[in-house]
Amino acid sequence: MTRVESMRSKGFYTWTRDLHLYLGLFISPFILLFAASVFFLNHAKVAADVATSEETVQNVEIPDVGDGPQSMERVAAAKKLLDRLHVTGEIGFVQYQRKERRLVIPVSKPGLETRITVDLDARSASISRRTTGFWEALAYLHKMPGPHNAGIRGNWIGTRAWQWFADGTIYLMLFITVSGLYLWFSLRAERRIGVMLLAAGAVSFIGALGAILR
Amino acid sequence: MRFSAEGWNRKLHYYLGLYFLLFLWLFSLTGLLLNHPRWALAQTSFQRIERRYETPIDVPRGETDLARARDVMRQLNLEGEIDWPASGQKPGRFEFNVSRPQDASTIDVDLTRTLAMVRHFDNHPWATFRIFHTFSGSRYNAPAATRDWALTTMWTLSMDALAAGLVVMVLGSYYMWYRLKPKRRLGAAVLIAGFLACGLFLAALM
Repeated sequence: MTRVESMRSKGFYTWTRDLHLYLGLFISPFILLFAASVFFLNHAKVAADVATSEETVQNVEIPDVGDGPQSMERVAAAKKLLDRLHVTGEIGFVQYQRKERRLVIPVSKPGLETRITVDLDARSASISRRTTGFWEALAYLHKMPGPHNAGIRGNWIGTRAWQWFADGTIYLMLFITVSGLYLWFSLRAERRIGVMLLAAGAVSFIGALGAILR
Repeated sequence: MRFSAEGWNRKLHYYLGLYFLLFLWLFSLTGLLLNHPRWALAQTSFQRIERRYETPIDVPRGETDLARARDVMRQLNLEGEIDWPASGQKPGRFEFNVSRPQDASTIDVDLTRTLAMVRHFDNHPWATFRIFHTFSGSRYNAPAATRDWALTTMWTLSMDALAAGLVVMVLGSYYMWYRLKPKRRLGAAVLIAGFLACGLFLAALM
């Protein structure tokens, strides 16, 4: 390697190391959030059907939310109702129950789950709220926006903003793993044991997936 | 050989990172798929092949619903995590679902006719990949849902180990950064910026 190549290589190493450090520090709170909420998601149990408060609002002006598949148009109509009831958050879905002449709209955000049930004939809306604890709020963020009802997901600004953070965490995490591989590989003394651990990880990973998929 | 906390902390950071590398990539990439259900790739993963069949079976045996479900699964040659209907069992029927990342079955046993009606779904390979992200056999907001398949428990323990490993790596990285005096000031600024972004965002949402 010529002197110039060696200097370039050192420069690349230094840049990679600094980016690994600073970007890692920046996303570390997000990584802690995602990692800590895994334990809640995997092991906690909460009584999700117990409301912490309930109220009924009479004489509600009810927008026409239509019927049929979930769509942003129906969500936009439902949002008018949410504004009148001073409820904010991500609308899970808009359900019209034809037989009961009822509308059901679950709305959620970190720390609060709200269920709005509208009696179309009585023009009343009952609002059932359940406040969640801190850990459940983290678990909620871990799951958001999620794969369900894709056509209407991200109908609350908070969810859309969180999606940016979640994506950013993933992209930076991918950068950190790749840069980490390069930094480790540059340390000759650590190569042998590193390869062994990489192989042990690959065996555990393939073994676990293979056992489930067999 | 001299023991150095700093040296061992650095080694632990590499070693955990290398060991968990493939797990990290799996959860990162499946995280992207879950975050973007409108992507063409994610849409593809929602395609699944359905097959329906009916087959006579022996009366399910066992003291509990779980034991009876396992007996039905043995007869149908099915494996996976059992999930119960939210509405409870109807008289004369025995219903449950069985799922694994690669497939799922909805089973409805007519106890009078000793007939099992099965809807079987084979998931698309991308769906199988995606489901590994959420395959824990437990939902925190459904207390009745518990893990009952040994392989789900094994996979859940892998998720826990990865999460614990990440926490150790992050905390270890704070120590490594702090020991680098020339990087302290900028590192502190970046770390504070990260905590502020995360904390203020959480506070605003809540």
